Amino acid sequence: MNARVHWSGIDISLEGDITISQVSHILKKIKKLLIEHAQTSITIDLGLVNKIDTAGVVLLETIEETARAKEIEVQWLNTPKSVKQAIQAFSLTPQTMTGRQKHKASFFEIFGDWFYEIGSHLHDLFYLVADTFYYAVNNLFKQHGKRKGEFTNQLILIGMNALPIVGMVSFLIGLILALQSAAQLRQFGAAIYVADLISISMTREMGPIMTAIMLAGRSGSAITSEIATMVVTEETDALKSMALNPIQYVLVPKFYAMTVAMPLLTVLSVIIGIFGAFVIALTYLDIGLEPFYNQVVNALLLKDILTGLVKSVVFAWLIVILGAYQGFKVRGGAAEVGKATTASVVSSIFAVIFADSILGLIFYFGQPVEI
Amino acid sequence: MNSDLNKLYMIEKTQKNHTPIVEVTHLTSGYEDFRVLDDISIFAPEHQITIILGASGCGKTTLLKHLIRLIQPWSGSIRLFGHEITSLDEPEFNTILKDIGVMFQNGALLGSLSVAENVSIPMEQHTSLKEDMIRKLVEIKLDLVGLRHAIDLSPSELSGGMRKRAALARAIALDPPLLFGDEPSAGLDPVTSAGLDELILKMREQLGMTVVLVSHEVASINRIADHVVFLDEGKVLFCGPLKEAKTAGIQKVDDFFAKG
Ligand SMILES: Nc1ncnc2c1ncn2[C@@H]1O[C@H](COP(=O)(O)OP(=O)(O)OP(=O)(O)O)[C@@H](O)[C@H]1O
Ligand SMILES: [Mg+2]
Repeated sequence: MNARVHWSGIDISLEGDITISQVSHILKKIKKLLIEHAQTSITIDLGLVNKIDTAGVVLLETIEETARAKEIEVQWLNTPKSVKQAIQAFSLTPQTMTGRQKHKASFFEIFGDWFYEIGSHLHDLFYLVADTFYYAVNNLFKQHGKRKGEFTNQLILIGMNALPIVGMVSFLIGLILALQSAAQLRQFGAAIYVADLISISMTREMGPIMTAIMLAGRSGSAITSEIATMVVTEETDALKSMALNPIQYVLVPKFYAMTVAMPLLTVLSVIIGIFGAFVIALTYLDIGLEPFYNQVVNALLLKDILTGLVKSVVFAWLIVILGAYQGFKVRGGAAEVGKATTASVVSSIFAVIFADSILGLIFYFGQPVEI
Repeated sequence: MNSDLNKLYMIEKTQKNHTPIVEVTHLTSGYEDFRVLDDISIFAPEHQITIILGASGCGKTTLLKHLIRLIQPWSGSIRLFGHEITSLDEPEFNTILKDIGVMFQNGALLGSLSVAENVSIPMEQHTSLKEDMIRKLVEIKLDLVGLRHAIDLSPSELSGGMRKRAALARAIALDPPLLFGDEPSAGLDPVTSAGLDELILKMREQLGMTVVLVSHEVASINRIADHVVFLDEGKVLFCGPLKEAKTAGIQKVDDFFAKG
């Protein structure tokens, strides 16, 4: 049965089912009536109310409050027993426990909190780095506290499974770079230098950085979501209660796997990237395998290769540490896991690019210039 | 009057020479600036089954987390086996942890491992047993909690009650002298729940375990409890033997046993 509101002047009568589906339309009607008939008192007849639910009870309270705010007195008429019982059953009980109050912070408090938070983030990050390296070295010699077979597991997850995507992207990058530069170099009759250009830029820059970005998205996010889930479901607490350190038990195998997988993937990325360039050289510039190969071998110095490898290891560590940091920092429920994962990918990609520029500067200025 | 009662039992306890394995004094703590436990003092006697009770949200889990140092108190002292754990360093505390089995309220099984692997973690990490030996022990522990058939399942394939039982199996993996459990029988059917009670009694009988459990089930409390700790709004209403709890004439305690 639908609810109806009847009125003549200030005498209102509510009828039918005052239930959750009816409530908002009744309230709208009554508010309108209260405005139209500015009086000091009204009567509301509930005699024909058929059914009332929780929302109905709240409606009656709201009507009374709204009226009181306008200094109108409400008289309830013919309230049936069922309605009285409902009001008794569904009204808020007086609060016994002191609720937790979140107080609103002032500007200076927010500012102070903000500094404090940055400080505590840095502090936590520092401890995480210290613990990770400590246990990474420790685990090499100790039997306890680590998971058997987990390193191999992680190597497969982090390294092997990333092979196709890293290979594919590197091939395309090599191809595109070669294509872009070929057009320019050919104008000067210097087409063969495509080999130098691509091999050096792939080895020093593109290889490490593309691999790192790929792994930040693939493995960094996986590390964060796994650790964050473990924190949320109290698995890390359970580990601690078994006298195991979550960093040692969960993170260190990933740290090892990343440290090994990243340089290997980077080498692979470089080789495939150069192969991509060779495809262009062969089809577009008519350069055969042998001259191309000789050119590459002559162009690459040991120092380029070392630069690339050092970078790849640094990137690997950044991704693992930042991923783990975002994971361990999670408090609360499942929604936080998603946020942490996003934060992990964003911060590690930024950190990788930032570190790349710093390392670039160090490698560039940190050595005698040679012509 | 709470503190008077407390003092009374503290004295009695020393007289009876029941060394408390767990002893918490003047513990105050909470989350951020929200106070959950307010100057509480409790103890759990050796070889006895102590049950912590109290309304939902009154801080039972929080108290249990303090006992394994997952949270540091604002103030107060916590002694396990006579060691003040709030000031131990990590290796020292880890040695103590190896003598403690902990069962979390939601199981907290490692999701990336199978049930068998979960139960075997403590044995793998803290003993030098061979693999086949560990497997056999895992089977025995899972058999004890009635989960032998689930040995190779992953935690996500278990029901809520099964997860709890698997967690209990993991907690007793090393036959620890001290067992903590957060509502081990909540959400279980009466038969399984009674089975778990029997298991706990059996472990106590056989191994002289000291057990500290959080529980609400009056039936279960009557079956197994020697000692009860009654928390209410962050305070200790009662801490002492079960029999005396029922005759102490504390309204809320009486209500609890009457309604259960
Ligand atoms: N991680 C947390 N952060 C903030 N407050 C918390 C946290 N965990 C618990 N609390 C608060 O501490 C109080 C006690 O919680 P606790 O989990 O100890 O209750 P409990 O007695 O175990 O309840 P239950 O019987 O329902 O498990 C609650 O008011 C809760 O809101
Ligand atoms: Mg709890």
